[in-house]
Amino acid sequence: MAATGSRRLFKEYRSLSSDPPEGITAGPIDEEDMFLWEALIQGPEGTPFEGGVFPAELKFPKDYPLAPPKMKFLVDVWHPNVYTNGEVCISILHPPGDDPLHYEKASERWSPVQSVEKILISVMSMLAEPNDESPANVDAARMWREKREEYEDIVRKNVKKSLGL
Amino acid sequence: MAEQTLNIPQLLVFIVVTVLAVRWYFSKPAGAGTRPAAATRATPRISQAQIDQISQMFPQVERRSIAWELSRNGGNVTAVTEKILSGRALETPPVSFQIPTPRTNTPSRTATPVAKAEQPDLITRYNLASKISKAPESASEEQSKSKAWSQDRNERQSNLQKRREEMILAARRKLEEKEKAKAKA
Repeated sequence: MAATGSRRLFKEYRSLSSDPPEGITAGPIDEEDMFLWEALIQGPEGTPFEGGVFPAELKFPKDYPLAPPKMKFLVDVWHPNVYTNGEVCISILHPPGDDPLHYEKASERWSPVQSVEKILISVMSMLAEPNDESPANVDAARMWREKREEYEDIVRKNVKKSLGL
Repeated sequence: MAEQTLNIPQLLVFIVVTVLAVRWYFSKPAGAGTRPAAATRATPRISQAQIDQISQMFPQVERRSIAWELSRNGGNVTAVTEKILSGRALETPPVSFQIPTPRTNTPSRTATPVAKAEQPDLITRYNLASKISKAPESASEEQSKSKAWSQDRNERQSNLQKRREEMILAARRKLEEKEKAKAKA
């Protein structure tokens, strides 16, 4: 099982390295352990995240690609769909059949046909367009809804701080 | 129904408990001078965590009342929770009573996420302090070269690292320029 997972991750690593999507760098921290990756995501343009680079850790389960990885930002990300500990909460990271409230369509959720690349692209677009329906960070969600300027201010400050400026 | 099954031992226990309760109740206002001492004696047993725990469940209840209730029952969180749940009002603490540590007005829950432990910035995380001032030309050359997939594992690893570093440094340079332009304007 683990061999299938690491073979698949290796293939994904190769395609992400030879043809990286715009603004994304991802790969295992050490090839000894293919189940722990680190990714860098660029903040999408035209959003307060623009100009920032956001590192995140991806932890793959041993039965990947049957189950999705867990993703956690390693810098402060003030966003309705990111927990204060950095964990990302979006539908593509949820296994199908895990959602009793039916917030998400099954097609949006994790399945073996998805990939690391698709996750990272989804996270990038999540930064641009938060999903207000099931927030992971309630305070950020409220601020995003009611005091957009204050929200964008915090995001920009975090970007500057994370780049050491 | 209850009266039918009541027997003498139960009745005795009931009377003893009632007498004790009444005595305890009436002895309180009399010993006004000794109470602060009693309160301080009891307080070490209750912790901020216990008060926080209950306060988070019942934000409408005053922290002082919770602390007072806890200090009287020896720090039994479950008992206090049940008392609040059952709808009985908590007793108002005496004026002399103080919550153990002076951290009484803790920041409200909304403020905590902003003030949580800080993450290291990217320059520190990836050890880039020495490379900040490096000329960008050579770096972009390296980047285009390192995009290719290498058969050698160590080369792959270092290519990936280079791409990471370049991405961060480029972002930093860009933001720095933007800040400078803004400062001039």
